[in-house]
Amino acid sequence: MLNFIIRRLGLAIPSLLILIIISFVLMHSAPGGPFTSEKPLPPIVLANIEAKYGLDKPLPIQIANYVWGIVTDFDFGPSFRYKDRTVNDIIEVGFPVTIKYGFWSFLFAVTVGVFLGVVAALRHNTWADYTAVGIAIGGSVLPNFVMAPLLVLLFTVKLGWLPGGGWEGGQIQFLILPVIALSTSYLAGIARITRSSMLEVLHSNFIRTAKAKGLPSSYIIWRHALKPAMLPMLSYLGPAFVGMVTGSMIIDQYFSTGGIGLHFVNGALNRDYSTIMGITILVGTLTIVFNMLVDIMYAWIDPKIRY
Amino acid sequence: MKTITRSLAAGIVGVALASTPALATHKTHPVTGEVLSDNQTYTYVSIDESSSLDPGLIEDVSGAAVARDLFEGLLTQNADGTLAPGVATRYTTNADKTVYTFHLRRNARWSNGDPVTAHDFEFAWKRAVSPELASPYSWYMEIMSIKNGAAVINGEKDKDELGAKALDDYTFQVTLEASLPYFPSMVVHTTTMPVPTKIVNAFGDEWTKPGNMVSNGAYVLSEHVLNERQSRVRNDLYWNNDATILDKVTTVIIQDENAAFNRYIAGEVDQTAPPSGQFNALKKSMPNDVHTNPRLCTYYYNFNMDAAPFDDKRVRQALSYTIPRDIIIDNILQGGQIPAYTFTPGATANFTVPEVAFGMMTQAERDAAAVKLLAEAGYSKSNPLKATILYNTSEGHKNIAIATSQMWKQKLGVEITLENQEWKTFLATKGAGDFEIARAGWCGDYNEASTFLDLVNSESGYNDSNYNNPVVDKLLAEAKTMSDPNGNYTQIEKIIADDMPIAPIYHYTGNMLLKPYVKGYPFNNVEGNWYSRNMYITAH
Amino acid sequence: MLVDNKKVQELADNMAAEELTGRSLLQDARHRFFKNKMAVVSLMILVSIIIFAFVGPYFAKWSYEEIDWATMGNVAEMGRPSIESGHFFGTDDLGRDLYSRVIQGTQISLTVGFVGSLIAVFVGTLYGATAGYLGGTVDNIMMRTVDILMAIPYMFFLILLLVMFGRSISLIFVGIGLISWLDMSRIVRGQTLSLKNKEFIEAAVASGVAPFNIIRRHIVPNVMGIVVVYATLLVPGMIMTESFISFLGLGVQEPQTSWGALISSGAGRLQYGTYWQLFFPLFFFIATLLSFFFIGDGLRDALDPKDR
Repeated sequence: MLNFIIRRLGLAIPSLLILIIISFVLMHSAPGGPFTSEKPLPPIVLANIEAKYGLDKPLPIQIANYVWGIVTDFDFGPSFRYKDRTVNDIIEVGFPVTIKYGFWSFLFAVTVGVFLGVVAALRHNTWADYTAVGIAIGGSVLPNFVMAPLLVLLFTVKLGWLPGGGWEGGQIQFLILPVIALSTSYLAGIARITRSSMLEVLHSNFIRTAKAKGLPSSYIIWRHALKPAMLPMLSYLGPAFVGMVTGSMIIDQYFSTGGIGLHFVNGALNRDYSTIMGITILVGTLTIVFNMLVDIMYAWIDPKIRY
Repeated sequence: MKTITRSLAAGIVGVALASTPALATHKTHPVTGEVLSDNQTYTYVSIDESSSLDPGLIEDVSGAAVARDLFEGLLTQNADGTLAPGVATRYTTNADKTVYTFHLRRNARWSNGDPVTAHDFEFAWKRAVSPELASPYSWYMEIMSIKNGAAVINGEKDKDELGAKALDDYTFQVTLEASLPYFPSMVVHTTTMPVPTKIVNAFGDEWTKPGNMVSNGAYVLSEHVLNERQSRVRNDLYWNNDATILDKVTTVIIQDENAAFNRYIAGEVDQTAPPSGQFNALKKSMPNDVHTNPRLCTYYYNFNMDAAPFDDKRVRQALSYTIPRDIIIDNILQGGQIPAYTFTPGATANFTVPEVAFGMMTQAERDAAAVKLLAEAGYSKSNPLKATILYNTSEGHKNIAIATSQMWKQKLGVEITLENQEWKTFLATKGAGDFEIARAGWCGDYNEASTFLDLVNSESGYNDSNYNNPVVDKLLAEAKTMSDPNGNYTQIEKIIADDMPIAPIYHYTGNMLLKPYVKGYPFNNVEGNWYSRNMYITAH
Repeated sequence: MLVDNKKVQELADNMAAEELTGRSLLQDARHRFFKNKMAVVSLMILVSIIIFAFVGPYFAKWSYEEIDWATMGNVAEMGRPSIESGHFFGTDDLGRDLYSRVIQGTQISLTVGFVGSLIAVFVGTLYGATAGYLGGTVDNIMMRTVDILMAIPYMFFLILLLVMFGRSISLIFVGIGLISWLDMSRIVRGQTLSLKNKEFIEAAVASGVAPFNIIRRHIVPNVMGIVVVYATLLVPGMIMTESFISFLGLGVQEPQTSWGALISSGAGRLQYGTYWQLFFPLFFFIATLLSFFFIGDGLRDALDPKDR
């Protein structure tokens, strides 16, 4: 297992390097730069400011300097757009927001999804099953940018129960709508997968044997069925995680939560090179770490897999 | 040297004197007597995060609004846009209006208790033009004609040679390159506001962070979460703090106009923009919330005159004539905008809109003339004119471009491709002259026609059409020093209406949804300069 | 909607374990597919939507870009769906015919889905088959590269790409397609590894057929089943991705449109009483996604030799 973890970590470094290089090159080949404004700056001023941010150096040296800054000082550099902020500042404020609603969305999707899936499987071909399947199918095809305005119309405009946006430190009332909007489609996916794998497990020989032995059915489910039924869902969690990070762009835009999703989109539009890089690296690292965790859990749960 | 002294109307002082302790538990407004709400908090929507709150760097309208609350310049404005004293109580000028001397009040303080001195202004102005700061708005200092301003900006002279000097702690003197009668109206602008010398030197770029920032306006910055919210609270050390009623003002960033509207309906915010295309419906459903007032802004299309087909005057005229201005205003914008046939809006101070030829025709006459012009230029059904409209990504720009292109297609058989780009890409494309027709909008930086007409100067950095007419340049140069430049402005507008380097489309109106309990918003200020210190919330 | 890789992987394993018997297998699969009611109904819905996308314009009274000047400005009342006005689905915010625009959006979104999948299939199959067939160090390097690329958050890249190089439909195809070939290549490689030792491949090698020709003529046709299943499941994901991009305002250029663009503008403006602006595009969007979803499931079950 240790060997496996080390090998995965070995892959992470080239992944990150490729990530950095491609995004760097992409950004710098884009038309316009961070200091393109409606009225062009005088050449001397432009040269001045580019020197200040090190943009006058050749691209490979810029990349090297950038990576070096991260490795030695964990410094992602100053934001090119918000002069009084560093990228570290922006991430420090925005990232906890994304993590907070992301975490709750994830938890919500997994618990409710698994619950729906298990109930549907246990009550196979009853109204409970059909309801769960209906929710799963409906949820998986409704994009979150449709969910968000629908939720706001219902809970904010019509009922007046919850605020239609904002964050204000992430109190619970500001959390609920973003969490629902972000998690629905993954909740649906998890429910679907759990249901089908649970059905498969319930029809397998070892469960039949357990039943034949006269074990109570709740014992069978908890003790024998649930663990193997969770396996397919685990492999879904990796992509779901990435999907949620991506979905944060929509959540931040619609709910004005101030997370890193919007910072990324705005950073790209404003050519805020350092902010784009910082967030891309952060998200890349998270993705890698998360996928690794999923794989480790997979190996731990599934005795057949040996790394 | 004959010196002219001008005393300024002091509306705010009157408010301060009238303030009396309220008898009931509810306070009342000192002038109008309205019952005030206990919660004097005003929350409004901004579409985008401002790039900076540093007066020297601010380049956007919403950032400027924040700066007007946080900082106070030499002069400010009354609700109707007339000049009011700010840190300067009065100013004097010499006979040919090339030297302006501002006399500062002695009771103006920074929020850390330090006095606001003329040296802070000198520091701020020199900083704003310095190549080290590289302010995107340094050009504003250039058009103020401050002595050596242009040279400092271009790095040819040291910033200490700028014609702005503190004669003593409370006297600030500005020397101009040439006479400029409307100079005082220019020092209301954010770029000319003072910055706290000590603080800026101590914190560098980070001086505008909450906690670091020290300001001299009616409010101080209390919170600033990028892309979420930004709050400012009453500054107890402001010289006229007693007259301030609003305790807290919050800007929330909401990028989606429909989401903002929902939150307005739910009462989470007190002000937002009417969502596109809903103005007429909202006027019916919530007449007390909808407001509209003329603004000093013009929406127009630039024709790229460097290349065919738009090097041909007849093509430019034909297209400009057939822009469906009335349809755009009545059906798309719906906010009582004014169709534009001249570049300068009629709301501009001392400016009379000249009667330009194509503005006098009916739309049918214009259409007929356009068909003829385009035929003369050699375009027909078999040889249709093809062009691309470039605009930056926005619902409004998109809708106008769609309507215009469809009308051109119907009336003239012109084949238009629409191309929208992100702002930065758009700027780069436009800057490289790589466009045929490009959308543009311009808001006056001060209330005088030259803030618009300077754009058609062949030297202007904003002259995207690359229009070059020596006659216009000469008229503009003359106008600078004339006591009544209106004749020149009329001539220029007539030349533009014929040469048509740009196709003016409409003059903006400021449209907003504002809760009826928010009072004191200056709807008559054509520059849209509002100050939170003049606003208040009535009991509701 | 994410593709349930596990299921496809299982199918791949089962197919690899089975001896290939050519035509009878296909006939058998077709027979079983047509016994699956959901899949057949879905196929019919999908086909009707495709037909609608081609035939629909002949019934339209307005083109997708034409503005109904009389409606513009009062869409909530004048722009309702109606037979008399010729706006069968109502109009959009500018008074353009939603019927024609939904058709246009259907064309674009389906094209993005199909072309994107084709690109993913093409690149993924070739890459996977090559890696699997050549084996050894080449395989190792090629698959480690896939592992490395897997870890990159692609949506971020796609956004950078679109912001940087301007929006164009071809960039969307390529961008979306290039995101999705990685999983494909893994599955195909696995299949290839098991095929490699089959007799007919060994026979081809012995008779001196060049490696590329073996891949092209013997390996690729034999992995087609699994590839088709996977591609079917990919299409809805592509359409979803395109709609996400459209929401961010990075989709196709006006006056062209896509489901994503129509839905996001319709959803945002629901409170103004123009419900049809959301309903019609969303209806087609959901119907198509669900159809692909059930067809993919049906194909998978039909092809799975284990279930026979």
